[in-house]
Amino acid sequence: MVDFARVQKELHECNKDVQVSGIKVSPVGGDLSHLTGSIPGPTGTPYEGGIFQIDIKLADGYPFDPPKMRFTTKVWHPNISSQSGAICLDILKDQWSPALTLKTALLSIQALLSSPEPGDPQDAVVAQQYLKDHQTFLGTARYWTEAFAKTCGVEEKVKKLVEMGFPESLVRSTLEAVGGDENLALEKLCSG
Amino acid sequence: MDSQEKQAAADCESNNDVLEIEDWANFRDDDIMRQHYDIRDQEAEKIPYVGDKEPLSALAAEYHSGSPILLEKIKVLSDQYGFIRRTRGDGNCFFRGFMFAYLEHLLVSQDRNEVDRIKGKVEHCKKTLQSLGYAEFTFEDFFSLFLEQLDSILQGGENSISETELVQRCRDQSVSDYVVMFFRFITSGEIKSRSEFFEPFILGLSSSTVDQFCKASVEPMGEESDHVHITALSDALGVPIRVVYLDRSSCDSGSVSVNHHDFIPASDQHTLDGGSVAINPKITLLYRPGHYDILYLK
Repeated sequence: MVDFARVQKELHECNKDVQVSGIKVSPVGGDLSHLTGSIPGPTGTPYEGGIFQIDIKLADGYPFDPPKMRFTTKVWHPNISSQSGAICLDILKDQWSPALTLKTALLSIQALLSSPEPGDPQDAVVAQQYLKDHQTFLGTARYWTEAFAKTCGVEEKVKKLVEMGFPESLVRSTLEAVGGDENLALEKLCSG
Repeated sequence: MDSQEKQAAADCESNNDVLEIEDWANFRDDDIMRQHYDIRDQEAEKIPYVGDKEPLSALAAEYHSGSPILLEKIKVLSDQYGFIRRTRGDGNCFFRGFMFAYLEHLLVSQDRNEVDRIKGKVEHCKKTLQSLGYAEFTFEDFFSLFLEQLDSILQGGENSISETELVQRCRDQSVSDYVVMFFRFITSGEIKSRSEFFEPFILGLSSSTVDQFCKASVEPMGEESDHVHITALSDALGVPIRVVYLDRSSCDSGSVSVNHHDFIPASDQHTLDGGSVAINPKITLLYRPGHYDILYLK
Protein backbone atom coordinates (compact mmCIF):
# COMPACT_ATOMS: atom_id res chain seq x y z
CA MET A 1 0.00 0.00 0.00
CA VAL A 2 1.10 3.54 -0.70
CA ASP A 3 1.50 5.41 2.57
CA PHE A 4 -1.20 7.99 1.79
CA ALA A 5 -0.90 9.75 5.16
CA ARG A 6 2.67 10.56 4.28
CA VAL A 7 1.79 11.67 0.74
CA GLN A 8 -0.81 14.01 2.24
CA LYS A 9 1.84 15.52 4.54
CA GLU A 10 4.25 15.85 1.62
CA LEU A 11 1.70 17.75 -0.47
CA HIS A 12 0.97 20.07 2.42
CA GLU A 13 4.67 20.78 3.13
CA CYS A 14 5.59 21.21 -0.51
CA ASN A 15 2.78 23.59 -1.37
CA LYS A 16 3.41 25.67 1.74
CA ASP A 17 6.51 27.31 0.31
CA VAL A 18 5.59 27.23 -3.36
CA GLN A 19 6.26 30.99 -3.47
CA VAL A 20 9.90 30.36 -2.61
CA SER A 21 10.66 27.12 -4.45
CA GLY A 22 8.24 27.48 -7.36
CA ILE A 23 7.68 23.74 -7.03
CA LYS A 24 4.09 22.51 -6.96
CA VAL A 25 2.58 19.06 -6.52
CA SER A 26 -1.13 18.31 -6.85
CA PRO A 27 -3.25 15.18 -7.14
CA VAL A 28 -4.66 14.07 -10.48
CA GLY A 29 -8.26 13.20 -9.69
CA GLY A 30 -9.12 11.98 -6.21
CA ASP A 31 -6.42 9.32 -5.97
CA LEU A 32 -3.18 10.23 -4.20
CA SER A 33 -1.21 7.59 -6.12
CA HIS A 34 -1.32 9.73 -9.27
CA LEU A 35 0.03 13.27 -8.99
CA THR A 36 1.37 16.00 -11.15
CA GLY A 37 4.31 18.24 -10.30
CA SER A 38 5.57 21.40 -11.90
CA ILE A 39 9.00 22.99 -11.80
CA PRO A 40 10.19 26.31 -13.15
CA GLY A 41 13.13 26.13 -15.57
CA PRO A 42 16.29 27.31 -13.76
CA THR A 43 17.56 30.81 -14.56
CA GLY A 44 20.64 31.05 -16.74
CA THR A 45 19.69 27.89 -18.66
CA PRO A 46 17.84 27.41 -21.95
CA TYR A 47 14.88 26.27 -19.83
CA GLU A 48 14.53 29.66 -18.11
CA GLY A 49 11.03 31.07 -18.19
CA GLY A 50 9.40 27.69 -18.85
CA ILE A 51 7.14 25.76 -16.50
CA PHE A 52 7.64 22.00 -16.83
CA GLN A 53 4.97 19.48 -15.92
CA ILE A 54 5.97 16.14 -14.43
CA ASP A 55 3.66 13.15 -14.23
CA ILE A 56 4.11 11.32 -10.90
CA LYS A 57 2.88 7.80 -10.17
CA LEU A 58 3.38 6.22 -6.77
CA ALA A 59 3.86 2.46 -6.67
CA ASP A 60 2.47 0.38 -3.80
CA GLY A 61 5.80 0.35 -2.03
CA TYR A 62 6.09 4.15 -1.71
CA PRO A 63 8.01 5.56 0.18
CA PHE A 64 10.26 2.47 -0.06
CA ASP A 65 9.94 2.32 -3.85
CA PRO A 66 10.83 5.44 -5.82
CA PRO A 67 8.08 7.58 -7.35
CA LYS A 68 7.76 7.10 -11.11
CA MET A 69 8.34 10.50 -12.69
CA ARG A 70 8.23 11.54 -16.32
CA PHE A 71 8.09 14.88 -18.11
CA THR A 72 4.77 15.53 -19.83
CA THR A 73 6.08 18.86 -21.13
CA LYS A 74 8.36 18.21 -24.07
CA VAL A 75 11.96 19.08 -23.19
CA TRP A 76 15.28 18.99 -25.07
CA HIS A 77 17.85 17.66 -22.59
CA PRO A 78 20.47 14.87 -22.74
CA ASN A 79 19.07 13.05 -19.68
CA ILE A 80 15.40 13.30 -20.62
CA SER A 81 13.81 11.44 -23.51
CA SER A 82 12.59 13.90 -26.13
CA GLN A 83 10.04 11.26 -27.12
CA SER A 84 8.63 9.87 -23.88
CA GLY A 85 9.77 12.32 -21.19
CA ALA A 86 11.55 9.50 -19.32
CA ILE A 87 14.16 10.84 -16.88
CA CYS A 88 17.60 9.37 -16.26
CA LEU A 89 18.32 10.23 -12.63
CA ASP A 90 19.87 7.93 -9.99
CA ILE A 91 17.56 8.96 -7.14
CA LEU A 92 14.54 7.86 -9.20
CA LYS A 93 16.14 4.44 -9.45
CA ASP A 94 18.48 2.56 -7.11
CA GLN A 95 19.59 5.63 -5.17
CA TRP A 96 16.07 6.45 -3.98
CA SER A 97 15.59 6.54 -0.22
CA PRO A 98 12.52 7.02 1.99
CA ALA A 99 14.51 9.97 3.41
CA LEU A 100 13.78 11.76 0.13
CA THR A 101 10.44 13.33 -0.77
CA LEU A 102 8.50 14.22 -3.90
CA LYS A 103 9.74 17.77 -3.44
CA THR A 104 13.41 16.82 -3.09
CA ALA A 105 13.03 14.58 -6.16
CA LEU A 106 11.56 17.49 -8.15
CA LEU A 107 14.37 19.75 -6.88
CA SER A 108 16.88 17.16 -8.13
CA ILE A 109 15.17 17.15 -11.52
CA GLN A 110 15.40 20.94 -11.56
CA ALA A 111 19.12 20.64 -10.74
CA LEU A 112 19.45 18.15 -13.60
CA LEU A 113 18.06 20.81 -15.96
CA SER A 114 20.88 23.12 -14.79
CA SER A 115 23.63 20.55 -15.10
CA PRO A 116 23.09 17.91 -17.78
CA GLU A 117 25.20 14.76 -17.72
CA PRO A 118 25.71 13.89 -21.39
CA GLY A 119 28.02 11.03 -20.38
CA ASP A 120 25.03 9.12 -18.98
CA PRO A 121 22.34 10.02 -21.52
CA GLN A 122 18.68 9.10 -21.71
CA ASP A 123 18.36 10.59 -25.19
CA ALA A 124 21.42 9.76 -27.29
CA VAL A 125 20.55 12.21 -30.08
CA VAL A 126 20.30 15.15 -27.70
CA ALA A 127 23.46 14.08 -25.89
CA GLN A 128 25.42 13.91 -29.16
CA GLN A 129 24.24 17.39 -30.09
CA TYR A 130 25.06 18.68 -26.59
CA LEU A 131 28.64 17.47 -26.96
CA LYS A 132 29.32 18.12 -30.65
CA ASP A 133 27.23 21.14 -31.55
CA HIS A 134 26.55 22.96 -28.32
CA GLN A 135 25.19 26.14 -29.94
CA THR A 136 22.53 24.21 -31.84
CA PHE A 137 21.72 22.32 -28.62
CA LEU A 138 21.18 25.60 -26.75
CA GLY A 139 19.04 26.96 -29.58
CA THR A 140 16.88 23.85 -29.80
CA ALA A 141 16.48 23.61 -26.02
CA ARG A 142 15.42 27.29 -25.91
CA TYR A 143 13.03 26.83 -28.79
CA TRP A 144 11.42 23.80 -27.14
CA THR A 145 11.08 25.77 -23.91
CA GLU A 146 9.38 28.59 -25.83
CA ALA A 147 7.20 26.21 -27.79
CA PHE A 148 6.13 23.76 -25.11
CA ALA A 149 6.88 25.12 -21.64
CA LYS A 150 5.42 28.60 -21.88
CA THR A 151 1.80 29.50 -21.66
CA CYS A 152 2.35 32.02 -24.42
CA GLY A 153 3.49 29.54 -27.01
CA VAL A 154 5.12 29.72 -30.39
CA GLU A 155 1.83 29.60 -32.26
CA GLU A 156 0.86 32.97 -30.87
CA LYS A 157 4.17 34.50 -31.92
CA VAL A 158 3.91 32.97 -35.37
CA LYS A 159 0.43 34.43 -35.71
CA LYS A 160 1.63 37.91 -34.68
CA LEU A 161 4.57 37.94 -37.10
CA VAL A 162 2.49 36.53 -39.96
CA GLU A 163 0.00 39.30 -39.31
CA MET A 164 2.85 41.77 -39.81
CA GLY A 165 3.14 40.40 -43.32
CA PHE A 166 5.98 37.86 -43.20
CA PRO A 167 5.46 34.44 -44.86
CA GLU A 168 4.61 31.71 -42.29
CA SER A 169 7.38 29.27 -43.26
CA LEU A 170 10.01 32.01 -42.98
CA VAL A 171 8.56 33.14 -39.60
CA ARG A 172 8.79 29.59 -38.25
CA SER A 173 12.35 28.97 -39.41
CA THR A 174 13.48 32.38 -38.12
CA LEU A 175 11.85 31.85 -34.72
CA GLU A 176 13.55 28.47 -34.43
CA ALA A 177 16.92 29.95 -35.46
CA VAL A 178 16.83 32.58 -32.69
CA GLY A 179 15.54 30.14 -30.08
CA GLY A 180 11.97 31.43 -30.07
CA ASP A 181 12.65 35.01 -29.05
CA GLU A 182 9.95 37.09 -30.70
CA ASN A 183 11.91 40.38 -30.78
CA LEU A 184 15.08 38.83 -32.15
CA ALA A 185 13.04 37.10 -34.82
CA LEU A 186 11.40 40.38 -35.82
CA GLU A 187 14.78 42.09 -36.03
CA LYS A 188 16.14 39.31 -38.21
CA LEU A 189 13.08 39.25 -40.44
CA CYS A 190 13.33 43.01 -40.95
CA SER A 191 17.06 43.01 -41.67
CA GLY A 192 16.83 39.93 -43.91
CA MET B 1 24.10 -27.37 -29.13
CA ASP B 2 24.14 -30.84 -27.66
CA SER B 3 21.11 -32.29 -25.95
CA GLN B 4 22.41 -31.53 -22.48
CA GLU B 5 22.79 -27.86 -23.27
CA LYS B 6 19.35 -27.78 -24.85
CA GLN B 7 17.90 -29.25 -21.71
CA ALA B 8 19.73 -26.69 -19.59
CA ALA B 9 18.44 -23.86 -21.75
CA ALA B 10 14.91 -25.18 -21.55
CA ASP B 11 15.16 -25.46 -17.76
CA CYS B 12 16.40 -21.95 -17.63
CA GLU B 13 13.49 -20.61 -19.64
CA SER B 14 10.86 -22.47 -17.72
CA ASN B 15 12.27 -21.44 -14.37
CA ASN B 16 13.08 -17.89 -15.11
CA ASP B 17 10.79 -15.47 -16.89
CA VAL B 18 13.38 -12.78 -16.40
CA LEU B 19 15.54 -14.18 -19.18
CA GLU B 20 12.81 -14.03 -21.81
CA ILE B 21 13.75 -10.74 -23.35
CA GLU B 22 13.19 -10.46 -27.06
CA ASP B 23 13.89 -6.84 -27.73
CA TRP B 24 17.17 -5.69 -26.22
CA ALA B 25 17.16 -2.48 -28.25
CA ASN B 26 14.20 -1.22 -26.27
CA PHE B 27 15.46 -2.57 -22.96
CA ARG B 28 15.67 0.55 -20.81
CA ASP B 29 16.48 1.58 -17.27
CA ASP B 30 12.96 0.84 -16.08
CA ASP B 31 13.19 -2.68 -17.44
CA ILE B 32 16.56 -3.21 -15.81
CA MET B 33 15.14 -2.01 -12.52
CA ARG B 34 12.13 -4.30 -12.83
CA GLN B 35 14.44 -7.18 -13.66
CA HIS B 36 16.59 -6.28 -10.67
CA TYR B 37 13.52 -6.33 -8.39
CA ASP B 38 12.37 -9.63 -9.89
CA ILE B 39 15.70 -11.29 -9.21
CA ARG B 40 15.73 -9.88 -5.69
CA ASP B 41 12.21 -11.17 -5.08
CA GLN B 42 13.15 -14.59 -6.36
CA GLU B 43 16.17 -14.66 -4.09
CA ALA B 44 14.05 -13.37 -1.24
CA GLU B 45 11.79 -16.37 -1.36
CA LYS B 46 14.76 -18.57 -0.57
CA ILE B 47 15.50 -17.07 2.84
CA PRO B 48 13.36 -14.90 5.14
CA TYR B 49 14.64 -11.52 6.35
CA VAL B 50 15.63 -13.29 9.55
CA GLY B 51 16.07 -17.07 9.60
CA ASP B 52 15.65 -19.67 12.32
CA LYS B 53 18.23 -20.29 15.01
CA GLU B 54 20.47 -23.07 13.76
CA PRO B 55 23.32 -24.96 15.41
CA LEU B 56 26.78 -23.84 14.32
CA SER B 57 27.23 -27.20 12.62
CA ALA B 58 24.88 -25.89 9.91
CA LEU B 59 27.53 -23.30 9.10
CA ALA B 60 30.25 -25.94 8.90
CA ALA B 61 28.06 -27.97 6.55
CA GLU B 62 28.16 -25.07 4.06
CA TYR B 63 31.93 -25.46 3.76
CA HIS B 64 31.85 -29.23 3.70
CA SER B 65 34.10 -29.52 0.68
CA GLY B 66 35.41 -25.99 0.88
CA SER B 67 38.37 -24.18 2.35
CA PRO B 68 40.02 -26.15 5.17
CA ILE B 69 41.01 -22.93 6.91
CA LEU B 70 37.36 -21.86 7.17
CA LEU B 71 36.39 -25.25 8.60
CA GLU B 72 39.25 -24.89 11.03
CA LYS B 73 37.99 -21.45 12.06
CA ILE B 74 34.40 -22.61 12.48
CA LYS B 75 35.75 -25.26 14.84
CA VAL B 76 37.46 -22.54 16.88
CA LEU B 77 34.22 -20.52 16.85
CA SER B 78 32.26 -23.47 18.16
CA ASP B 79 34.23 -23.37 21.42
CA GLN B 80 32.49 -20.11 22.24
CA TYR B 81 29.44 -19.92 20.03
CA GLY B 82 26.65 -22.44 19.74
CA PHE B 83 24.17 -21.05 17.23
CA ILE B 84 23.79 -18.91 14.15
CA ARG B 85 20.75 -17.10 12.79
CA ARG B 86 21.00 -16.15 9.14
CA THR B 87 19.74 -12.93 7.63
CA ARG B 88 18.74 -12.28 4.03
CA GLY B 89 21.57 -11.03 1.83
CA ASP B 90 19.70 -8.04 0.45
CA GLY B 91 22.17 -5.34 1.45
CA ASN B 92 20.28 -4.67 4.67
CA CYS B 93 21.74 -7.66 6.54
CA PHE B 94 23.77 -5.65 9.05
CA PHE B 95 20.83 -3.49 10.09
CA ARG B 96 18.43 -6.45 10.02
CA GLY B 97 20.82 -8.60 12.06
CA PHE B 98 21.32 -5.81 14.58
CA MET B 99 17.57 -5.22 14.80
CA PHE B 100 16.78 -8.81 15.64
CA ALA B 101 19.75 -9.40 17.95
CA TYR B 102 19.08 -6.21 19.91
CA LEU B 103 15.32 -6.68 20.26
CA GLU B 104 15.81 -10.34 21.17
CA HIS B 105 18.33 -9.35 23.82
CA LEU B 106 15.78 -6.94 25.34
CA LEU B 107 13.03 -9.55 25.15
CA VAL B 108 15.12 -12.13 26.99
CA SER B 109 16.70 -9.77 29.53
CA GLN B 110 13.58 -7.61 30.12
CA ASP B 111 16.05 -4.84 30.94
CA ARG B 112 13.77 -1.85 31.56
CA ASN B 113 16.71 0.45 32.27
CA GLU B 114 18.13 -0.31 28.85
CA VAL B 115 14.76 0.37 27.21
CA ASP B 116 14.58 3.75 28.98
CA ARG B 117 18.17 4.52 28.05
CA ILE B 118 17.64 3.70 24.37
CA LYS B 119 14.46 5.80 24.27
CA GLY B 120 16.51 8.75 25.48
CA LYS B 121 19.05 8.13 22.73
CA VAL B 122 16.29 7.88 20.11
CA GLU B 123 14.87 11.21 21.28
CA HIS B 124 18.34 12.73 20.95
CA CYS B 125 18.72 11.31 17.41
CA LYS B 126 15.39 12.87 16.48
CA LYS B 127 16.71 16.29 17.52
CA THR B 128 19.91 15.64 15.55
CA LEU B 129 17.93 14.95 12.37
CA GLN B 130 15.79 18.03 12.91
CA SER B 131 18.85 20.20 13.37
CA LEU B 132 20.33 18.73 10.18
CA GLY B 133 17.27 19.96 8.33
CA TYR B 134 15.35 16.70 7.78
CA ALA B 135 11.60 17.27 7.44
CA GLU B 136 9.93 15.57 10.37
CA PHE B 137 7.40 13.70 8.24
CA THR B 138 10.20 11.90 6.41
CA PHE B 139 11.36 10.09 9.55
CA GLU B 140 8.61 10.23 12.20
CA ASP B 141 6.80 7.06 11.06
CA PHE B 142 10.02 5.05 11.21
CA PHE B 143 10.82 6.36 14.69
CA SER B 144 7.38 5.64 16.13
CA LEU B 145 7.39 2.13 14.70
CA PHE B 146 10.70 1.38 16.43
CA LEU B 147 9.43 2.81 19.73
CA GLU B 148 6.32 0.61 19.39
CA GLN B 149 8.58 -2.44 19.11
CA LEU B 150 10.40 -1.44 22.30
CA ASP B 151 7.11 -1.15 24.18
CA SER B 152 5.85 -4.52 23.04
CA ILE B 153 9.15 -6.17 24.02
CA LEU B 154 8.58 -5.49 27.73
CA GLN B 155 6.28 -8.04 29.27
CA GLY B 156 3.24 -7.16 31.32
CA GLY B 157 1.96 -4.55 28.90
CA GLU B 158 -1.15 -4.97 26.77
CA ASN B 159 0.75 -5.50 23.57
CA SER B 160 3.67 -7.56 24.84
CA ILE B 161 4.94 -10.19 22.44
CA SER B 162 6.62 -13.59 22.58
CA GLU B 163 9.84 -14.69 20.91
CA THR B 164 7.83 -16.31 18.10
CA GLU B 165 6.00 -13.04 17.49
CA LEU B 166 9.28 -11.15 17.43
CA VAL B 167 10.52 -13.49 14.71
CA GLN B 168 7.29 -12.99 12.77
CA ARG B 169 7.52 -9.22 13.04
CA CYS B 170 11.11 -9.16 11.87
CA ARG B 171 10.02 -11.25 8.87
CA ASP B 172 7.09 -8.94 8.12
CA GLN B 173 8.17 -6.34 5.58
CA SER B 174 5.88 -3.65 7.00
CA VAL B 175 7.74 -3.83 10.32
CA SER B 176 11.17 -5.07 9.30
CA ASP B 177 11.87 -2.57 6.52
CA TYR B 178 10.61 0.32 8.65
CA VAL B 179 13.01 -0.58 11.46
CA VAL B 180 15.90 -1.02 8.99
CA MET B 181 15.11 2.43 7.61
CA PHE B 182 14.94 3.79 11.16
CA PHE B 183 18.52 2.58 11.71
CA ARG B 184 19.58 4.11 8.40
CA PHE B 185 18.24 7.48 9.55
CA ILE B 186 20.04 7.15 12.89
CA THR B 187 23.29 6.17 11.17
CA SER B 188 23.12 8.98 8.65
CA GLY B 189 22.31 11.55 11.34
CA GLU B 190 25.26 10.42 13.47
CA ILE B 191 27.70 10.52 10.55
CA LYS B 192 26.57 13.96 9.43
CA SER B 193 26.55 15.45 12.91
CA ARG B 194 30.14 14.22 13.50
CA SER B 195 31.33 14.69 9.94
CA GLU B 196 34.83 15.75 10.99
CA PHE B 197 35.36 12.43 12.74
CA PHE B 198 33.91 10.30 9.93
CA GLU B 199 35.32 12.21 6.96
CA PRO B 200 38.74 10.48 6.77
CA PHE B 201 37.14 7.00 6.94
CA ILE B 202 34.63 7.91 4.26
CA LEU B 203 37.35 9.31 2.02
CA GLY B 204 39.18 6.03 2.39
CA LEU B 205 36.10 4.04 1.40
CA SER B 206 34.56 5.98 -1.42
CA SER B 207 36.36 9.29 -2.04
CA SER B 208 33.08 11.14 -1.71
CA THR B 209 31.98 13.87 0.69
CA VAL B 210 30.20 13.00 3.92
CA ASP B 211 26.86 14.22 2.53
CA GLN B 212 27.27 12.31 -0.72
CA PHE B 213 28.20 9.18 1.21
CA CYS B 214 25.10 9.39 3.40
CA LYS B 215 22.88 10.07 0.40
CA ALA B 216 24.34 7.26 -1.71
CA SER B 217 25.49 4.58 0.76
CA VAL B 218 23.53 4.99 3.98
CA GLU B 219 20.02 6.26 3.29
CA PRO B 220 18.95 4.11 0.31
CA MET B 221 17.62 0.68 1.28
CA GLY B 222 19.80 -2.21 0.15
CA GLU B 223 23.10 -0.34 0.40
CA GLU B 224 25.59 -2.52 2.24
CA SER B 225 27.15 -1.54 5.56
CA ASP B 226 30.79 -1.06 6.35
CA HIS B 227 32.69 -0.25 9.54
CA VAL B 228 31.61 3.41 9.15
CA HIS B 229 27.93 2.43 9.41
CA ILE B 230 28.56 0.11 12.36
CA THR B 231 30.62 2.68 14.26
CA ALA B 232 27.98 5.36 13.70
CA LEU B 233 25.03 3.20 14.74
CA SER B 234 26.83 1.87 17.80
CA ASP B 235 27.81 5.41 18.83
CA ALA B 236 24.40 6.92 18.17
CA LEU B 237 22.49 4.34 20.19
CA GLY B 238 25.24 3.64 22.71
CA VAL B 239 25.07 -0.09 22.02
CA PRO B 240 28.33 -2.08 21.83
CA ILE B 241 28.54 -4.53 18.91
CA ARG B 242 30.97 -7.41 18.41
CA VAL B 243 31.76 -8.45 14.86
CA VAL B 244 33.49 -11.80 14.39
CA TYR B 245 35.33 -12.17 11.09
CA LEU B 246 35.20 -15.43 9.22
CA ASP B 247 37.53 -15.15 6.26
CA ARG B 248 40.47 -16.98 4.76
CA SER B 249 43.13 -14.89 6.45
CA SER B 250 45.58 -16.87 8.56
CA CYS B 251 48.58 -16.16 10.69
CA ASP B 252 52.01 -17.70 10.27
CA SER B 253 52.28 -19.15 13.74
CA GLY B 254 50.32 -22.17 12.58
CA SER B 255 47.50 -22.00 15.10
CA VAL B 256 44.22 -20.78 13.66
CA SER B 257 42.45 -17.96 15.45
CA VAL B 258 39.31 -16.04 14.64
CA ASN B 259 39.54 -12.25 14.68
CA HIS B 260 36.87 -10.09 16.11
CA HIS B 261 36.37 -6.39 16.59
CA ASP B 262 34.33 -4.73 19.29
CA PHE B 263 32.58 -1.54 18.32
CA ILE B 264 32.41 0.31 21.63
CA PRO B 265 30.27 3.45 21.68
CA ALA B 266 32.32 6.65 21.91
CA SER B 267 30.47 7.53 25.15
CA ASP B 268 31.80 4.34 26.79
CA GLN B 269 35.37 4.75 25.59
CA HIS B 270 36.54 6.71 28.64
CA THR B 271 35.31 3.99 30.99
CA LEU B 272 37.39 1.61 28.97
CA ASP B 273 40.47 3.82 29.04
CA GLY B 274 40.05 4.25 32.79
CA GLY B 275 40.46 0.51 32.94
CA SER B 276 37.46 -0.04 35.19
CA VAL B 277 35.03 -2.50 33.63
CA ALA B 278 35.53 -4.41 30.42
CA ILE B 279 32.58 -3.89 28.13
CA ASN B 280 31.03 -7.07 26.86
CA PRO B 281 28.91 -6.55 23.75
CA LYS B 282 25.55 -8.31 23.95
CA ILE B 283 25.18 -8.23 20.18
CA THR B 284 27.46 -10.48 18.16
CA LEU B 285 27.39 -10.59 14.39
CA LEU B 286 29.30 -12.98 12.18
CA TYR B 287 30.89 -11.28 9.18
CA ARG B 288 31.74 -13.17 6.06
CA PRO B 289 32.92 -10.91 3.22
CA GLY B 290 29.80 -9.09 2.06
CA HIS B 291 27.39 -10.48 4.66
CA TYR B 292 26.39 -10.37 8.32
CA ASP B 293 24.54 -13.07 10.31
CA ILE B 294 23.76 -13.29 14.03
CA LEU B 295 25.91 -15.41 16.37
CA TYR B 296 24.88 -16.79 19.76
CA LEU B 297 27.14 -17.68 22.66
CA LYS B 298 26.88 -21.21 23.97
